[in-house]
Amino acid sequence: MIENSFNRRDFMRVLGWGGATVALSGCGNTSVEDGKEFVTSYVEAADYVIPSIGTYFNTTCAQCDAGCGIMGRVREGRVLKLEGNPTSSINKGKTCGLGQAGVQAHYNPDRVREPLLRNGSKGETITWEKALELIKDKIGVGAGEVAFLTGGVSGHTKVLLKNYLDALGSGHHYAYEAVSPAIIRAANKKAYGVEMPRLRLDKAKVIVSFGADFLGAWVSPVHFAQQYARFRKNAKGERGVLVQIESKMTLTGANADRWLAVRPGTEGILALGLINGLAAAGLSVPKDVLDLIRSYTISRVSKDTGVSTEHMDKLIALLRARSPSLVIAGSAAEGYAHGSQNAAAINLLNKVLGNVGKTVEPPSAISFPQITPTTGSRSALQALNDSMAQGKVKVLFSYGANPVFTAPITMKLKENMKKVPFKVAFAHYMDETAVEADLVLPLNSAMEDWSTSVPEYVAEGAQLNIQQPLMEKLYPGTLGMGDILLALLKQRRPDEYKGYEDFYSYLRGAMVSIKGTLGKASESDDTFWDGALSHGVVKLKDTPISLANKVFSGNLALPAPFAEDGGYPLHLIPAVSASLRDGRNANEPWLQESPDPLTTIVWDSWVEVHPKTAAKLGIVEGDIVEVASKSGAIKAQVYVFPGIHPDVISVPLGYGHEAMGRYAKGVGANVFRMLDPIFDKETGELAMHETRVKITKAGQRVIIVKDEGPAGGNQMGRKIAVRMSSEKANISKEV
Amino acid sequence: MSIVNLLGNWSDFRQQHPSDEHKHLEYKWAMSIDLDACTGCNACSVACYAENNLPVVGKEKFSHGHSHHWMRIERYWDNDGREFADQGAQFLPMLCQQCESAPCETVCPVGATNHTADGLNSQNYHRCVGSRYCNANCPYKVRYFNWYDYPTTENVWPEPMRQQLNPDATVRGKGVMEKCTFCLQRLRAAQSTARTEGRSVRDGEVQTACQQVCPTGAITFGNLVDPEAKVGKQWMQQQVELNKDKQVKDTAEHASKLRGYRVLEELRTYPSVMYLEQLRESAI
Amino acid sequence: MEKDIREDIAWAQINKDVLKSLENPRKLYWIILFIAIAMVGVAVGCEVYQYQTGMGVANKNNSHVWGLYIATFIFWIGMSHSGTLLSAILHLMHADWRKPIYRFAEAMTTFSLMTAGLFVLVHLGRLWQVYYVMPYPSERWVWPNFQSPLVWDMFAIATYLSSSVIFLYVGMIPDLAICRDNIHSGWRKKLYTVMSLGWEGTDRQWRNFRITYLTVACFLIPLAVSVHSIVASDFAMSNMPGWHVTSFPPYFVAGALYSGCAAIITLFVILRYTFKFEEYMTLSIMRKLVRLTFAIAMVWTYLNMIEFASVWYGHDQTAKDQLIFKATGPYAPFFWAMIFFGSILPLMLAFKRFQTHLPILFVVSILLNVGMWLERWMIIAPSFAHGHYPWTWDHDQWPSFVQWGIVFGSFGWFTLLFMVFCKVFPSVSMYEVKEMVYHRTLALKGKSAAKGGH
Ligand SMILES: Nc1nc2c(c(=O)[nH]1)N[C@H]1C(S)=C(S)[C@@H](COP(=O)(O)OP(=O)(O)OC[C@H]3O[C@@H](n4cnc5c(=O)[nH]c(N)nc54)[C@H](O)[C@@H]3O)O[C@H]1N2
Ligand SMILES: Nc1nc2c(c(=O)[nH]1)N[C@H]1C(S)=C(S)[C@@H](COP(=O)(O)OP(=O)(O)OC[C@H]3O[C@@H](n4cnc5c(=O)[nH]c(N)nc54)[C@H](O)[C@@H]3O)O[C@H]1N2
Ligand code: SF4
Ligand code: SF4
Ligand code: SF4
Ligand code: SF4
Ligand code: SF4
Repeated sequence: MIENSFNRRDFMRVLGWGGATVALSGCGNTSVEDGKEFVTSYVEAADYVIPSIGTYFNTTCAQCDAGCGIMGRVREGRVLKLEGNPTSSINKGKTCGLGQAGVQAHYNPDRVREPLLRNGSKGETITWEKALELIKDKIGVGAGEVAFLTGGVSGHTKVLLKNYLDALGSGHHYAYEAVSPAIIRAANKKAYGVEMPRLRLDKAKVIVSFGADFLGAWVSPVHFAQQYARFRKNAKGERGVLVQIESKMTLTGANADRWLAVRPGTEGILALGLINGLAAAGLSVPKDVLDLIRSYTISRVSKDTGVSTEHMDKLIALLRARSPSLVIAGSAAEGYAHGSQNAAAINLLNKVLGNVGKTVEPPSAISFPQITPTTGSRSALQALNDSMAQGKVKVLFSYGANPVFTAPITMKLKENMKKVPFKVAFAHYMDETAVEADLVLPLNSAMEDWSTSVPEYVAEGAQLNIQQPLMEKLYPGTLGMGDILLALLKQRRPDEYKGYEDFYSYLRGAMVSIKGTLGKASESDDTFWDGALSHGVVKLKDTPISLANKVFSGNLALPAPFAEDGGYPLHLIPAVSASLRDGRNANEPWLQESPDPLTTIVWDSWVEVHPKTAAKLGIVEGDIVEVASKSGAIKAQVYVFPGIHPDVISVPLGYGHEAMGRYAKGVGANVFRMLDPIFDKETGELAMHETRVKITKAGQRVIIVKDEGPAGGNQMGRKIAVRMSSEKANISKEV
Repeated sequence: MSIVNLLGNWSDFRQQHPSDEHKHLEYKWAMSIDLDACTGCNACSVACYAENNLPVVGKEKFSHGHSHHWMRIERYWDNDGREFADQGAQFLPMLCQQCESAPCETVCPVGATNHTADGLNSQNYHRCVGSRYCNANCPYKVRYFNWYDYPTTENVWPEPMRQQLNPDATVRGKGVMEKCTFCLQRLRAAQSTARTEGRSVRDGEVQTACQQVCPTGAITFGNLVDPEAKVGKQWMQQQVELNKDKQVKDTAEHASKLRGYRVLEELRTYPSVMYLEQLRESAI
Repeated sequence: MEKDIREDIAWAQINKDVLKSLENPRKLYWIILFIAIAMVGVAVGCEVYQYQTGMGVANKNNSHVWGLYIATFIFWIGMSHSGTLLSAILHLMHADWRKPIYRFAEAMTTFSLMTAGLFVLVHLGRLWQVYYVMPYPSERWVWPNFQSPLVWDMFAIATYLSSSVIFLYVGMIPDLAICRDNIHSGWRKKLYTVMSLGWEGTDRQWRNFRITYLTVACFLIPLAVSVHSIVASDFAMSNMPGWHVTSFPPYFVAGALYSGCAAIITLFVILRYTFKFEEYMTLSIMRKLVRLTFAIAMVWTYLNMIEFASVWYGHDQTAKDQLIFKATGPYAPFFWAMIFFGSILPLMLAFKRFQTHLPILFVVSILLNVGMWLERWMIIAPSFAHGHYPWTWDHDQWPSFVQWGIVFGSFGWFTLLFMVFCKVFPSVSMYEVKEMVYHRTLALKGKSAAKGGH
């Protein structure tokens, strides 16, 4: 056991994954803290640490909201490599590329290292005491005038946040996620009674995904990818069939047996058409649904959606022949003003097929409501923005969101923020929002911090993820969000919180206090806590909710397909890439240099254009074009792409940072900014795919920086990547 | 130091190439990659960066073809003039094939790239003089040259980024060739432990970084000599033989159900990586 | 018919004319020297930059790892064949018209090898470790890889270079003695004294000299053939489509002789002018040289056709693709320029009226070598751009200014060495020219005697 100057890292005793009893400390990392030199000799290291041999500690990936369990390899006091935590039911020992790059968020050279007070155009560093004091002063405004903007939150951070807001008497918590599936959640709630039912890809024989990029960036990609593997080759050696319906090919679309290019916005129509076809093929469908779909004949739907009758017939036959299936409504379907209806129609198809209870399963209820996830939405930012515009916000806290980067220009968010007299950003980087803040408070990295979280999508049972430091803090001037909230709470409710020296002791106390509820009453506090840290996850009580199974047409009314718009003839699909997502990870160089799977482009934005459209416009690969919507414009290079509907162009999100750091700044263009203010009629969510654009050549032509060579995706007759038809293979015999 | 030594040494070197008469004794590391499971997600590639200290070269150098991705995901289209790539893409994770008869080895003037007794194509960075002949002769073009001195290049590993570097792998300086090593440092650690315990490395005891991360489990890795190893069972079941340049699948009519093949096998490089063909449903 | 050499030049006149070249060349000499030094300066600058920064500044890449350095390396190795051809082969064939011009051709051999060698160094990513290629005794028994054609290269070039130097030197001994006897002071006197090894021109010395010279000549011929065959093996032994062609070694040797001959024509014109060697480097000799060049050009053309044909009719589709790519891809202009300069342009050498037209020959001979240089580049660049693996194809990897600068400078380096040589050593073999004149006089006498004489 090592004494170390930072108390809350004491006594972190955990089991190594290899089975040996090991403990973690910041040992070995020569650090200078509080002005005194603190050096630990390897020779003196605790008995479980063998110099030069990595020790694994479990924690939680903070790169996206999926909440995968990870284990960090720690050697000589430094975290070196992340692997998936096999005990986490979400990702079972695997991670995605984005998760791998977690170490680059931690060791990032552009992290904010000390609290910064903005002083006119300049900033000055201040101490934490002063920073907290300042907040205390400013918070003296009316309680209703404090707004707290966050991303999705859960776990004990959420508890402290709520307590703090309660202590202030302010209910203004805005949970904002720029690319969340908020419309789908609402539609699911209506259809299934829960926002996120469990999708059992592995049990499905056919998956029809309406633009759900579950292998790339949707909800819980590592989990889904593992399920996908079992769907492709299940225990009996049967191979599931994936049909992806979307206007822009996603990574999932690129893995489909059949990728169907659908006219943008007509996903719901296609779903109803399929129900019509299924009913005609003998599937029993309730009367009200029959009434609803009557007019959606195959031929009409084919005309509306651009999907051939041949493919619809084949798909209907497939769905009739192989059951259970699974129909998923994804982000591509929800991104329209009628996104809710699209999603409802798709969910209806799923229910008509009788998949609820078979491939759609209920999630578990979490027995501790205070730690359940508060998921974010885009409408939350809209609401905050309105308040700010009306001058109702006097103090703004921003944590886990970068609205200045992700808000469309038309919101005038930056201008409205200027009306807020005091803005505090809790930040890892000087990102676009931190640059606008009056006070920037530097956060610990996920590898240095304590927290707990409950992911929105848990694969089985209910699970609380634990995040623990993998090493000594790199910078003495950063602090964990939990610690900051605790310090703020102490300002308001000193008596209640004075017993907690730091967030660690709070967390440990809180966790130990519920051990009885978790059925671990017989364990000593230490054993319980050590076990929790060792596994990195705590299994909560599994109480399944029942799903709504009744098939009913609802008030479903789908609009006719989009009318042509001569001025803005093309639909813009902002693509969510698996690496950059909403752009928060853009300063991690592995991700910038990791080629986009479909275009193989690195370090820049691109505009995907169908060959036909490109030919019509006289555009070739590498042409710089201006993509203009009614709200804004960007310039980017064209990539001619055979996986996109000719009426659509697509540009990836996450690029175009004007701040943040050396790897993100100035790379590509920001499409968030040019989105038109069109909202889903039911939920009020920004409709991400509604923006119409025109493209014009800007004159220059560049050689696109990508991995693919001049042969493009052609193998030139050589035997490199080979494909065969599935009936020719016999995977049931395979090892 | 006599001519006898010299010739003996050379002869040993030659004999490192296993053949039917000269079998692997304890280990023969091999891989199989199921293209039907691989989604092209790139996680393996990033994991390799993390494990093997690969430099991020930046846009400018990437544009000059100086990237270092030991594991690179190739994406092929197969739409044959159809309007859309409506059967998706074909992704192929390409890494050093650890050829049993490696064209890169024979041409290296200094013997910096050799065959090891456990069937790896090794790369000795200290010995490499940077002639790049090995790369010229590698049909798969999976060798990556240090065109610059990345450890001292701005923004490749700025402080504190360099603290992430894996001390078990090297950081290569300018002028040397590098490539996938099958995560040699992991193999050697496992082999050493096993040796200490008087046994062989058990199947699953060691994973390559790309295999470990792969969400769909598309990559299988192990010891072909070990009868218990999954990788060997897969090879056997697919009737792919290490020392042959034509497999049953290529010749026998009845073997059309097999999916296993090796890339550019006809060049007689005898790769240690077997791929399983991607499948596509014909009912849709 | 014009004569290879006048029979009536006095031997003393020969000494005087040749030794003059050691004293006062035209001003042009100094201009050339200055330009050569400036060119070397460019190359040195580029190399220092490349050494410091890394090979990346040459703008090659992971699928296109070799560039101009290797192409120019082959080019210079090819050049080196000229001397051996003229001195050794023609010597054995008793073609005495070679006599006035073989000396500088031999010097060319030596200097082009020295230039070629530099390209090996410049090409290496870690030139500071180049000695790993040598089989030096090492406590760890680490040997170079004797399977690698690059190691063969190292042996072949080292042997060829040392043999060439010996050949050049041995053949110069009688002339060095003349220099020693005609120059009366200064460092040159000392140099010639030491280098002439006490040559007195005794019968015994002449006998030993002739045997030695013949032996080295005989030794050199297979070396010359092998050295370029081995350079060809760098390619022929690999598996790059378009490279593993069995006819590569003779093809390379022919190309080497070809570019060597063309270079001799160029230098012939330059030396004849700068050092006023009109008496010795006669138009008649030039005509013979040009005819030889023409013949070799046709051999090269034939072997080139063989190469294309064997690719075309072979079973290897990748090699065929590669050939089509060369002829139609982004390198096509260079490919066709190579064909034009290498096979079409030399046709004019068949015409008598061009065979002695020095200005035209000067230009044409340079263009022939441009063609030969392009040949080497067309072996390297398009092959890398369009190899086995389509994913890594790279059709527009153009050499950077660093590569061009070093290639450019290499011509300066060669010229520098060559010009300095011509100023320090007799670039025309005095004793052999005397021999030639003597033989002519004898022949003339014999003729007139046969006619009955006066
Ligand atoms: N039993 C046994 N005894 C041995 C040996 C053995 O193998 N076994 N080996 C012998 C040998 S070879 C050696 S070299 C000696 C080594 O003996 P010591 O020199 O005593 O070596 P350490 O114990 O490794 O380190 C000494 C102290 O230096 C501190 N230290 C580390 N870095 C710094 C720094 O930057 N500044 C300051 N001020 N202090 C620092 C460490 O915390 C540690 O307390 O031991 C010898 N004694
Ligand atoms: N983590 C960590 N690493 C360290 C250090 C540290 O403090 N911490 N210290 C460093 C220092 S200061 C040193 S000096 C090195 C020491 O590093 P090493 O030299 O590796 O030290 P040892 O393990 O003491 O000895 C090496 C081997 O020599 C064997 N041996 C003993 N006597 C003899 C003999 O008479 N003949 C032969 N042939 N073998 C013999 C031993 O059995 C042992 O296997 O380690 C360095 N490495
Ligand atoms: S899916 Fe999200 S949480 Fe899981 S490993 Fe990837 S980035 Fe981390
Ligand atoms: S991690 Fe696995 S699925 Fe992803 S690209 Fe690599 S091999 Fe394919
Ligand atoms: S794949 Fe290339 S680098 Fe790897 S062993 Fe084969 S020839 Fe060598
Ligand atoms: S680059 Fe290095 S390993 Fe490759 S052939 Fe040259 S010396 Fe050998
Ligand atoms: S085996 Fe290791 S070195 Fe090779 S590609 Fe995979 S991770 Fe990289």
